Amino acid sequence: MPKLNRFRIEIETGERGTDLPVHFTINNHKLPLEDTQGGVGPTETFSGGFEIRSFAHSLTLVGPESGQWDIRKMKVDYDCEHTPPYSVVFDAVTLDDMTEVNIWRDPPLPTWDV
Amino acid sequence: MSVLKKLSKMFSGSDSKNPEAKEAMSEDTGSPEPANPFKEEPPVQRRVIQAQVIVDQAEEGAPTDQILIKAEPSRDNEQCKFMVNRPLFEGYSWLFSNFEEAAGSPLAESVFSVDSVETLLLHDSTAVVTKTGAKGLPDWESLAKEVGSAIRKTLQAETELISQEIVKKIPSEEVVREEIQKVIDTEVNPGVAGHGGRITLTAIAGNSVTIEMGGGCQGCSAADLTLKQGIHNSFRKAVPYVGAIYDETDHAAGLNPYYR
Repeated sequence: MPKLNRFRIEIETGERGTDLPVHFTINNHKLPLEDTQGGVGPTETFSGGFEIRSFAHSLTLVGPESGQWDIRKMKVDYDCEHTPPYSVVFDAVTLDDMTEVNIWRDPPLPTWDV
Repeated sequence: MSVLKKLSKMFSGSDSKNPEAKEAMSEDTGSPEPANPFKEEPPVQRRVIQAQVIVDQAEEGAPTDQILIKAEPSRDNEQCKFMVNRPLFEGYSWLFSNFEEAAGSPLAESVFSVDSVETLLLHDSTAVVTKTGAKGLPDWESLAKEVGSAIRKTLQAETELISQEIVKKIPSEEVVREEIQKVIDTEVNPGVAGHGGRITLTAIAGNSVTIEMGGGCQGCSAADLTLKQGIHNSFRKAVPYVGAIYDETDHAAGLNPYYR
């Protein structure tokens, strides 16, 4: 597991939006996203990030305190130590007050043609 | 209930959640429990759900007549996955544990002809090879080239890849499901129950099995050992025609996964 220096997430909201601030958890510590842009209302696009500088045992995006939040798509950019930056795009998901979605993926394994 | 009995229960601490005991306390002291200003509300335990990862189609490349093989060593460097742009054993999987088992299957014979190959697992269009020797040696960089070349030569020969005897051995999915479930119920789960664990069969595809490790197994740091040395062995011993065994557990989920 590499050390996660920072990450940035871009979220495309679907039909049902939510309110700011958007929270995430890193190793079960809940924090608001920083350096945010845009909104999380219906069909809006939001982006935010955080400088973690720690090992990510778990990284999740927390659902709203009430109601449902339709996420159409999420793109997460990871900047890990000793690893080239990489991005992962996640498909649609709906969050509510009892759910959070896993947004951590290990760096891709090296591949080559043989 | 007498006052003496109530007091005895309160001080023994054996029934502190009993409403009668709490009632007795307020009756005896005549005042409610003082609020603790430092007491924190317990965090809401949310369920962690998974979103599917979208793979960029452009990364997979355009269709071609050429045989394309990509090598991807595992993080621990013990095995290497070879992804081929054509089927090797469509819809099914098979583990060749040694050279002898490869007899009659040209693709497996060809891969085992490469030095240092220990086992070969075929599934659909992938081949997973483990190597003999100490960790890190020989290097996958050179070994993967040899394995890739062996796979390519067999595919170019356009012969049968897998022995028909193996194909005939594989029963229907229903039979595989029934047999694996029986092993889980009678052998695996009673074994892990002592550690508060449980194994659930989540999917069968052909003769490939997917399980989920729950309870004490979910966040246990020894889950990989349990899976490879315990569950794999039990499955393969009782159900010899089982192919690939996958674990889809999110071992990092939950509040304190490694300390449960």
